[in-house]
Amino acid sequence: MSPALFSQLCALGSSLVLITGIAILWRHSLAVYIDYFARQSFVFVLVILGVAAYAGEAELYLVAAMVFLFKVMLIPRILRRVRRHVGVDLEVRPYVNVPASVALAGLLTLIAYAVTRPVVEISGLPTRAGIPLALAVVFVGLLIVVSRRSALAQIVGFLVLENGIALLAILATYGVPLIVELGAFLDVLLGFLVMQVFVYRIRETFDTIDVDRLSGLRH
Amino acid sequence: MMTALLVEALQALLTLALAPGLIGLVRFLKARLQGRRGAPLWQPYRDLRRMLRQEVVLSTDASWLFRAAPFVVFGSVLVVSLLVPLIAAPLPFDEVGDLVVVVYLLLLGTFVLSLAGLDPGSAFGGMGSSREMTIAALAEPTIALAIFGLGVRAGSTNLGRIVARTLASPAETLGPGHLLAFAALFIVMLAETGRLPVDNPATHLELTMIHEAMLLEYSGRYLALLEWASAMKFLIFQALLANLFVPWGVAVSLSPRALLVALGALVLKLAALGAGVALLETRLAKLRLFRVPELLSVSFLLALLAITASFVMR
Repeated sequence: MSPALFSQLCALGSSLVLITGIAILWRHSLAVYIDYFARQSFVFVLVILGVAAYAGEAELYLVAAMVFLFKVMLIPRILRRVRRHVGVDLEVRPYVNVPASVALAGLLTLIAYAVTRPVVEISGLPTRAGIPLALAVVFVGLLIVVSRRSALAQIVGFLVLENGIALLAILATYGVPLIVELGAFLDVLLGFLVMQVFVYRIRETFDTIDVDRLSGLRH
Repeated sequence: MMTALLVEALQALLTLALAPGLIGLVRFLKARLQGRRGAPLWQPYRDLRRMLRQEVVLSTDASWLFRAAPFVVFGSVLVVSLLVPLIAAPLPFDEVGDLVVVVYLLLLGTFVLSLAGLDPGSAFGGMGSSREMTIAALAEPTIALAIFGLGVRAGSTNLGRIVARTLASPAETLGPGHLLAFAALFIVMLAETGRLPVDNPATHLELTMIHEAMLLEYSGRYLALLEWASAMKFLIFQALLANLFVPWGVAVSLSPRALLVALGALVLKLAALGAGVALLETRLAKLRLFRVPELLSVSFLLALLAITASFVMR
C-alpha cells in the first residue's frame, strides 16, 4: 500500500471514529448511545488492524483482538444489561441541547486541529493526519460526560474518551508498549465495572440515574 | 467553441427531459419497496402534460408576484443546469458562474417561491413559507461549505475545475474531506429538495408539509412549471453529488464518443442515487419539525470537518 493511500485511509478511519462519537451527541436514546459506542470501537479495531498491517507490528494485532473482545463485545453487552435493568431509555433534557452540543463538537475539533499543529508538523508518520481527530474524540468524550444528565450516558462518554486516548497512542507512535496497553485496559475495565455498580446503587437509592438529582437531599 | 455551446444546450435539454423521469423512478422504486405496484416511470410526464393543458384558477388576492414566481423559479433552475457539469467538465459557461452563483440561483428560486406562498394570504401557504425559510437558512451555508471543502483542494470554486482536479488525483476520493463533504451534501440535498426525513413529498394534505404547502394555491400551467422546476432541482442536486464526488465518466473532451459515455454514466449514476433515496425514504420516518435543525446542524458539522480535513491535508 502506498504511504499516500494509507495516510488517506487512516484519516478516514479516524474521522469515522470521531463521527460515531459525535453521533452520540445527536441522539437521545441511551440504547443508541451504546450501539454507537460499539460501532466506534469496531471502527477503532479496523484502524488498529490497518496500522498493524502497514507498520508490521505483531503486538498491535493482539491489541486489536483485545479491543474487539472488550469494547465491541463485552462492555456494550454489560451496558445493555444495565440499561434494561435500570429501565430508562431517553436522555430527556441534556444540560446542553442537541444543536448546541453538535456545534460545540465542531468547535472542539477545530481547537484540536489548532493545538496538535506542532505535533503534526514534526511527526513523520503517515498516520499523522489522524492525530487531531483522535484528540477531538477525547474532547467529544469529555463533552458527553459534562453535558448529559444520565449516569449511563456519562459512562459512555468516559468510554469514548478512553477510545480517543488509545487512538491517539496508536496514531502518534504506532501504539505504546504492550505492557502499558494491558495496564490501561485493566484500568478502564475496572473503572467501568465500578461505575456500573455505582449506577445500580444510584438507581436503588434515588430511583433515577439522573445525576442532577444527586445534589439535593431526598424528599 | 460552437460544439461546446451545443453541449451546454444539450445539458439544459437533458435536465428538462430527464428530471420528471428521475422523480418517476424514485416514486416507482419506493412503491415497489413498500409492496405497492406503483405508477409507471413516465407518469410524471403525463402529469405535466395534463397540467399544462388545464385551466389556471387564480385567487382574487393574488398579485403579479404570484403569477411571475413560477417563471422565475423555472428560469433560475434552468440557468443552473447550464452551470453544473452534467456530462462534460470544463465548459464555456464555467467562466460565467461558479459554485457561489449556483447556490444563490437555487436560493433565489426558494426565496421567490416563499414570497409566492405568502402572496395569496392563505394560512397553509404562509406556514409553508415560514418553514421553508427556516430550513433554507440552515441548509444554505452547508451546501456552500461542503462544496468549498472540495474547492479548497482544487484551488478554485469553479465546478468544472473541481471535477477535473478530482479526476486527476483519484486517491484523494478516499480521504475524509471527500466523503464527509458527500455525506453533508447528501443530507442537505434531502432538506433542500423536500425529501423524507425533512418533508414528505408524497402528501398533499398534511399539517407538516412544507414544499406542497407553498404550491397549494397553484394550478394549471403554473403548477406544471413549479413541479417541473422542483424535479429539475432534484436532478441538479443528484448530478452535483454524482459528478463532484464520483466524477468518472464525465467527458473531458468534446468528442461524440466521450459524450455518449458521459451520458450513459450520468443516467446510471442518477439511477443509483435515485435508488438510494428511495431506499432511504422507505426506511426513514419524517422527523419532527423541531428536530430538523438538529439534523441540519449535524450536516453543517460534517461539512465543517470536511473543509478542515481538506485544508489541513492540502
